[in-house]
This record gives sequence, C-alpha cells and structure tokens, in this order.
Amino acid sequence: MSPPLPSLGLRRRVERVGAAVLDGMDAGFELARTFGATVRGVFRSQRPPGEVLAQMYVIGNKSLLFVAVTLGFIGMVMVYQSCLQLNRITGDLSQVGPEFLKLLIQEFGPSITALMLATRVGAGIAAEIGSMKVTEQVDALRMSGVTPIDYLITPRFIASVIMTGVMTVFAVLIAFAAGGLTAASSFGVNANTFFDPGRVRVFDIALGAIKTLSYGMAIPVISGFCGLRARGSSEGVGAATTAAVIGSSLAVIVLNFIISGTGLLLLGDGR
Amino acid sequence: MKAAGNLVAGTIESLGATAIHLSREVGGITLLLGRVLRCLVPPSMDGRELVRNMYRMGNRSLPIVALTAFFVGGIMVIQAGMYVKQFNAAGLVGWGAGYSIFREIGPVLIALMFSGRVGSNNTAELGTMTVTEQLDGLRALAIDPIRYLIVPRVVAMVVMLVVLTVLGILVAIVGGALFSSLLLDLEYSTFYYSLVDNLDWTDFLHGIVKSAVFGMSISLTSCYFGVSVRGGAIGVGRAVNAAVVAAAVSIMLLDFFLTYLLP
Repeated sequence: MSPPLPSLGLRRRVERVGAAVLDGMDAGFELARTFGATVRGVFRSQRPPGEVLAQMYVIGNKSLLFVAVTLGFIGMVMVYQSCLQLNRITGDLSQVGPEFLKLLIQEFGPSITALMLATRVGAGIAAEIGSMKVTEQVDALRMSGVTPIDYLITPRFIASVIMTGVMTVFAVLIAFAAGGLTAASSFGVNANTFFDPGRVRVFDIALGAIKTLSYGMAIPVISGFCGLRARGSSEGVGAATTAAVIGSSLAVIVLNFIISGTGLLLLGDGR
Repeated sequence: MKAAGNLVAGTIESLGATAIHLSREVGGITLLLGRVLRCLVPPSMDGRELVRNMYRMGNRSLPIVALTAFFVGGIMVIQAGMYVKQFNAAGLVGWGAGYSIFREIGPVLIALMFSGRVGSNNTAELGTMTVTEQLDGLRALAIDPIRYLIVPRVVAMVVMLVVLTVLGILVAIVGGALFSSLLLDLEYSTFYYSLVDNLDWTDFLHGIVKSAVFGMSISLTSCYFGVSVRGGAIGVGRAVNAAVVAAAVSIMLLDFFLTYLLP
C-alpha cells in the first residue's frame, strides 16, 4: 500500500509558500549583485559628466523644504510630548534639551530624515528609472554598450551618500531649533539650559554617522533596483515606485535596529 | 547689477509659482473632501467595492505593518536601554517604550508605511485608470466616479489604518518586551508593570485618534493625485511621487496639531 498523498489543496499551498521563498531569495541575490555592481561603478568612470552634481541638486536641494517642514514639526512634537510626560513624573525640565540633542544625533535625526528621503528620493528614482525601463530606454543604453547600473544608479548612489549626510546635519539643526522654541514658549525652559551640547558623546556622533552612511547607500540601490525591475507600462511604473518606497523604508528601519542594537551591546556599563 | 536684479526676480517668481501650485493642490484636496462627505451623508456607496478595497488595503498590508512594528518596538527598547545602562533605571523601560509607541512613533510610522504601500498603490491605480480614460468611460455610463471609486477607497483606508495601528501597536509592545528580555535581561513582568502602572487608556486613544485622521489625509491626497494625472506612464510615476510626499508632509503637520489639541 502506498502512503496517502497529501491533498491537492495542501500541496498547492505548500507550493505557493515555496514559490514566494524562491522569488524572495532571487530578488535578494539580485539586490546584492546590484549593490556590488553599483559600488564597482564608483571606481569606473562610465557616468555622464555632471550627472552626479545634477543628482545632488535633485536629491538635496529639491528635498530641502520637505525635510525642513517635516523635521521641524517632529522636533516640536517630540519636545512637547517629553516635557508633558516629565512634568507629570519629575517636573525637572532642565535635562530635556541636552538629552534631546543626544537622541536627535544618534537616532531620530538620521532615521527620520532617511525615512523622508526614502519616500521622496526613493519614489523619484524608481519612477524615473522605471519610466526609462518601460519605454525601452534602458535597453537602448545596453545596446550602445553602456552598463545601465553604471550609468543610472551609480551617480545617484554617490549623490545620495553625500546629500543624505548634508540633509541629516541640516535636519538635526532644524529639529533642535524647533524643539527649543517649543520648550521656551510652551514650558518656559530657558534657552541657555536647552541649547547645551554638553551631553553629546563621540559615541553618539559615530553612531549617527554610521547610520547616515548606511541609509544613504541603501536608498538609491534599492530604489534603482526596483526601477530596473519595472515591467509593463504605467501600471508597472506605479508598482515599482510602491516597491521602492516600502523597500527603502523597511531597509531604514531594519538597519536602524541592527546598528542601534550593536551600539547598545558595544556600549559598556555605566558610561 | 542687472544679474542681481534677475536673481531677485527669479526667486520671487519661483516663490509665487510654488505658492500658486500649493494653493491649487490644497484647494483641490479640500473640494474632494467636500464631495466625499456629501456622498457619506446619507451613506451611499458601492458595498462590494468597499469590501474588496478593505481586503486589499488592510489584510494585504498586515505583514509589512507587523514587521515594521516589531522592529520599531525593538528600536524603542534599545533607545530606552541606553538610559537604563546610564542611570540604572530598569523600571522605566516599559514606560518609555510604551509612551513613545502609543502616542507618537506607533501611529506615525505605521501611517508612513501605509502611505508608502497603500497610498502610492492607490495613486498608481487611479492614475492608470485616468490616463487610459476609464474615468471618462464611467462618466459616459452615468456612473459617478467619486461615488463608485473614491468614497469606498477613502472609507476603507480610514477603517483599515485604524485597525492596522491597533494591531501594530500591540505587535510593537510584544516586540519591545521580547527585545528587552533578550538585550537587557529584563523580566517580562517588569516591562509589563512599568507600562501598565504609568500609562492609561488616554495614551492609547491619543494614538488611535491620530491614526484615523492620518488615514483621512492619506486617502484624500492619494485619490486626488491619482485622478489629476496628466501624460502617460511618466505622469503616473510623477503623481505617485507627489502623493507620497504630500501624505508625509500632511502626516507630520497633523501630528503636530493633534498633539496640542488632544489630551
């Protein structure tokens, strides 16, 4: 007697899970290859002259207002909420400013700026490259002997690494200033007490810098990868844009978790 | 001298253009809100379309929201953990992580992810329908596109974002408890009592009310940019970009005002 075969429904379900896993692994390997090719492209000069500067303008200058508005309001909200909560428990508001600056440098400045850039820059890169893909411009590039990754993703990669750093510094300043204004106007905290950088350690700055660098590298590679995978016509471009925003945002959150966790484990006791 | 004059004129011109552009979009979104509200009193919309959208937008987004929330819980505990090591205050981890997840980070981050997945998808879909003239087709059949396409989407997004936020906050708290035990060697009961003793229902409801308002703004911006697409596949890409940016700005602005208004 042969062993009973699993029912067809179960088999189909297992097949579907397996297909999803295989697809996911394929995409993962391809993403890793894209990242490798992008980094290699930095050391080859196959990119159009002036393209890095043009991309820096698009990624940086054009996002300036967006980052300023969102981070300014986040800074106000965070200071307001923490003062409210501290008033309920201890009532001592003198430490809010220094601790806020510390948290801003090592956590919220890099991460929220990167989330905002993932939304704006990631969607932009995927929409642009995706439109080029579905209108067969990418194939035309390949036909004329140009590697699309070198030509399209690498300049955006260089520009994003530089401009994410610049935008993060700018965002920290804006959020800190906005937070200081809120603390002074709503809770009467003295400006000299608030704007005190004494608590910031080298550790915080290093953690923030590592985060900024990794976000700046992850966003253009993931978005460019999603753009190059676009299929079909306008629907495909829309789907690629969605995938880019979700992929880059998730990458920011997971990278933040990994880097902060490592930082916590490295940080010794009592310092 | 003349170059400086040109520069000033150019700056003023671009400022004015931005202001006009912004007013047009804010006005368009407000008009859309008015039309949607008129269809909701008394409620008249396509029921099947509503259920289909709720499934597509809610159930299908659950994995991404749960994954985000889980890691966010971990991140909040790590941040609280740095203070624990500094001041030796393990009893405050649950409070710190819970307070920030309930009131701020939970609703805002889940809304941002929802806008990235559902809002941009919605804009792409409505945009594709617009550029392929399917909306005009509906109008030619005497079907009101607002009632048939937009109202079900708005209702589905508001309801589903609230549901996803409730679930996401729970997942984030579970993730926080798990990582505080793994990374900080904290007992689950310490985490639990620190959270329960210091927070109450108003903290939780604060976040839920925020998520309902965020759902409204995400749905309206994504529908507005979807139906006002011009110019083929490139136009759809540009509209999706504009929609996610507008949704992110409106989430941050509304978060600010709601924080002041709500208890």
